[in-house]
Amino acid sequence: MGITRRDFLKNSVAAATAATVGIPLGRFAQAASQKLEQGWRWDKGVCRFCGVGCGIMIATKNGKIVATKGDPKSPVNRGLNCIKGYYNGKILYANDRLTRPLLRMKDGKFDKKGEFVTVSWQQAFDEMARQFKRAYAELGPAGVAIFGSGQYTIQEGYAAAKLMKAGFRSNNIDPNARHCMASAVAGFIQTFGIDEPAGNYDDIEQTDTIIAWGANMAEMHPILWSRVADRRLSAKHVKIVNLSTFHNMTSNIADIEIIIRPQTDLAIQNYIAREIIKRNVVNWNFVNKHCVFATGPYDIGYGLRGTDKFANPAEKDIEAKELQIELDKYEAVAQGKKSGDIVKQRSRAGAGGHWLISYDDFKKAVEPYTLDFVAELAKGDPDESLQQFQAKLKQLADLYIAADRKVVSFWTMGFNQHQRGTWVNEQVYMNHLLLGKQSQPGNGAFSLTGQPSACGTAREVGTFAHRLPADMVVDNPQHREICEKAWKLPAKTLNPKIGSHITKIMRDLEDRSVKWAWVQVCNPFQCTANANHWIKAAREMDNFIVVSDAYPGISAKVADLILPSAMIFEKWGGYGNAERRTQLWREQVPPPGEARSDVWQVLEFSKRFKLKEVWGEGPLPGLLADGFEDGKLPNVLAVAQQMGYSPDDTLYDVLFATPANKKFKWPDPVAKGYDNHTVAALGEDWFVEKALFEEYAQFGRGHMHDLADFDVYLRDDVRGLKWPVVKGKETHWRFNEKYDPYVKKGSGFDFYGPAAKSLPSGNLGGITSKSRKSLAGRAKIFFRPYAAPVEVPDANYNLWLITGRVLEHWHSGTMTRRVEELHRAMPTALLYMNPEDAKSRGLRPKDVAWIESRRGKIKAVVETAGRNSMPRGAIFVPWFDEGVFINRVTLDATCPISKQTDFKKCAVKVFKA
Amino acid sequence: MKKVYVALGALLLAVTGFALAQTQKVTKDADLGLSKTSVFSDPTPEPFDYNDAFPGTGKVLPRAYPGAPPQVPHNIEAFQPVTSANNACLGCHDKPNTIGKKEAKTLPPIPLSHYSQVKAKGGKPERKLSGARFVCTQCHVPQAKVEPLVGNNF
Repeated sequence: MGITRRDFLKNSVAAATAATVGIPLGRFAQAASQKLEQGWRWDKGVCRFCGVGCGIMIATKNGKIVATKGDPKSPVNRGLNCIKGYYNGKILYANDRLTRPLLRMKDGKFDKKGEFVTVSWQQAFDEMARQFKRAYAELGPAGVAIFGSGQYTIQEGYAAAKLMKAGFRSNNIDPNARHCMASAVAGFIQTFGIDEPAGNYDDIEQTDTIIAWGANMAEMHPILWSRVADRRLSAKHVKIVNLSTFHNMTSNIADIEIIIRPQTDLAIQNYIAREIIKRNVVNWNFVNKHCVFATGPYDIGYGLRGTDKFANPAEKDIEAKELQIELDKYEAVAQGKKSGDIVKQRSRAGAGGHWLISYDDFKKAVEPYTLDFVAELAKGDPDESLQQFQAKLKQLADLYIAADRKVVSFWTMGFNQHQRGTWVNEQVYMNHLLLGKQSQPGNGAFSLTGQPSACGTAREVGTFAHRLPADMVVDNPQHREICEKAWKLPAKTLNPKIGSHITKIMRDLEDRSVKWAWVQVCNPFQCTANANHWIKAAREMDNFIVVSDAYPGISAKVADLILPSAMIFEKWGGYGNAERRTQLWREQVPPPGEARSDVWQVLEFSKRFKLKEVWGEGPLPGLLADGFEDGKLPNVLAVAQQMGYSPDDTLYDVLFATPANKKFKWPDPVAKGYDNHTVAALGEDWFVEKALFEEYAQFGRGHMHDLADFDVYLRDDVRGLKWPVVKGKETHWRFNEKYDPYVKKGSGFDFYGPAAKSLPSGNLGGITSKSRKSLAGRAKIFFRPYAAPVEVPDANYNLWLITGRVLEHWHSGTMTRRVEELHRAMPTALLYMNPEDAKSRGLRPKDVAWIESRRGKIKAVVETAGRNSMPRGAIFVPWFDEGVFINRVTLDATCPISKQTDFKKCAVKVFKA
Repeated sequence: MKKVYVALGALLLAVTGFALAQTQKVTKDADLGLSKTSVFSDPTPEPFDYNDAFPGTGKVLPRAYPGAPPQVPHNIEAFQPVTSANNACLGCHDKPNTIGKKEAKTLPPIPLSHYSQVKAKGGKPERKLSGARFVCTQCHVPQAKVEPLVGNNF
């Protein structure tokens, strides 16, 4: 051969890495890498993991992925990958891939108490449809549900949402992305009237100041962090601040680390606003032209059930706080009330309502948030001096305010997983808008996202219980009409009642109001807080749970039917990242065994339903909407017949295999010889993924969400495009006239989002004038007060529990824990705690300890050093490890507006096991 | 040739399909997944140790595939954290002049791909480590002394 295996490796690595920076290679190395790569075919793809959306190159040979590398042409990662990203290929090949459907059976029949038996797809779909029809007949459209995902491809999310909403007339489809960025969405809609960030990742290189609020970017968005580190190390004036409830890897590159008590970010934001006003640096030119002031009710509850019917005895005291609370001294000052006041939570149902207020009211509202008050409340490390903490808060305000500084604020789960998540999202815009530092290169509040297509699918396609494509919502009659026309449905087919959010679907299983559920591209029984209730509901109630997955996790273990799914590069797909960048890829390799794509599963299942089974009159408890009879959906079959449908047509015919979709023929030259198992398994000759993408894209084109044509994204010279893509051009910064074609000419800035742009007026106490004012083109500067968390440590449960991810593993670990390099890097989820807290409990590093809350207890291994260091009084436990099932301990309180769970704070005790 | 493979494949599929239809596999839910326990049980996690080899004594670990980042074959606890003020990894590995030389075999230098060329004023061009590659542990991770949870045939 002439060269050894070692040389082979070395040279190939040199080729791969050198290519990333365009370093010329020696002739020998080039020849060697050509030899090694003989028969390899490279194509572009997208990383399977976080919301950054790094481009990768994938090499295949003989139907297998043989290598991947960071895509040097990707503007996101410029050839880099993080440690997880390098294993995009290897995650496909663990030995326990699910390759055949598994059904719980006894004596040859489905039995809830049976054991898993391999069955054919035919048997699997038969039982699945039989069980669906049973639940649907008994409970109507609200009795069935889909657990969706921020990891759905665009086409998967679109197919699932269309089947549920248009076919089954059910709005009970909600993604795990609810746990991830629902508060960000509510913040965007309420502030700007339209979802998703204004800026893009180039803000990092353009800014002077980066403030991370509850975003451990070094571990959770490693490639963005590498760009931040590069910026910080190559420009001396650049400053980085890390606000967090504990010391983490992000602090290592930061100039200032601010350790706060959970939920006091609300108070710190108001302190900054107060400083802006006190120092007389409100950017009045910007605010007068482009903003209004607003607020909403404070007494909105905590997103708990509001009844203790299903609570354990230990849970009842916290559940009772859902209906009324006693104000502590800080909350009283912050809200202008008296300590000890009892406050009934009267606005639980109208938590998102808001109204215009005057600037004077706004100024009055932030007045109590002095440095002294906020520092005493917010200081999170008992071992730090108050003086030092105050100095840091002042530096933070200085950095925001400095006239010659551009500022980018980044946040993720610290803000979003928060009992006042919507409020705290709105507060960060409050300060950027007051200063006029928004929607400009290097200036802006930038919501990062956790999952690879939380933006591109969950949000843009609309796989939420309240959403339709392109920011439309189910409870808006005009939006329903637009969708009914586009989907060629009879009027009033779509259900106007918002469905159950993901945590509520779990509660619905427990109280028997949902009896059939399908889990797609997620692991909800591991990732939903207060999990003891839900695993019990799944196994012990009269219901049928279907789990589509590639590997068995906790959700598969509690399922009744497991369906084997194709993984990312075993199917055609597309993702949309946190900077509005849409990226598509080709099917690189076939799925193993009988595993099939989720699109195929949805389409194949839809063949089993005739219109007459789903478009007749249906019960819908609680439905109250104009034009609808109370409590029921109308029969639309007669109108369907007038439209040319037969009651015996299947949902597959009506929703998917439409004449328009069938025009997209397979094979298609854009495939360049790559295969499509979905089309082959359906036995069709139309290009399903292209047709679904184009059908979906029509909703956004001309409506501020324009996508380019399917084929454009697959061109060799394209590495994703940031929507809106207008006349072939992507949009770099939205709402800014210089960059955004939707901005009104001559306005400079135009916050043109249309949602919630007509409001009544009032003061800090409530609405005083119901007459609505239009605020077209303006963004809202919200006042939102500090609110105490619903559960705080006490004498018994005396520690805060914070959960989160780690660098080396993705989500619940079902893929990354099957890669030995990643497993060995982080074998199990550790219990990070302060050495003093450990000592006072008789614990030493590597001891096994119990972590117990009102809801449950689990065991974990104690760590008092390592990458995180905890302040006294707080512990951190990652959630990736099914053997350290921390969500049996966490609290299912949510932001009452966004319904996103707060995984960042509850009270626990820790003791030696 | 291709035809023969197809025919063989079809035969194989028919045989295994028949075999599978004859012997349906039965699996308990507790036996699925990475923790072979019931979801209602309280497993006890095992403590673990990272590789305790002293720098310079660890054996180069195999890479998952050509182009995968090398893993750290020695203990790094004393060198953590990598901060903007102090990156202890660079002390040994920031040696671009040794690339391709004999000493690189015992002490792997950071490859050229991680550097950019900077022109010093009036002097020769210098190599400077790219800031984007500064946080070594984003890609290069130490390995604990544990067994894989499940095999992988990548």
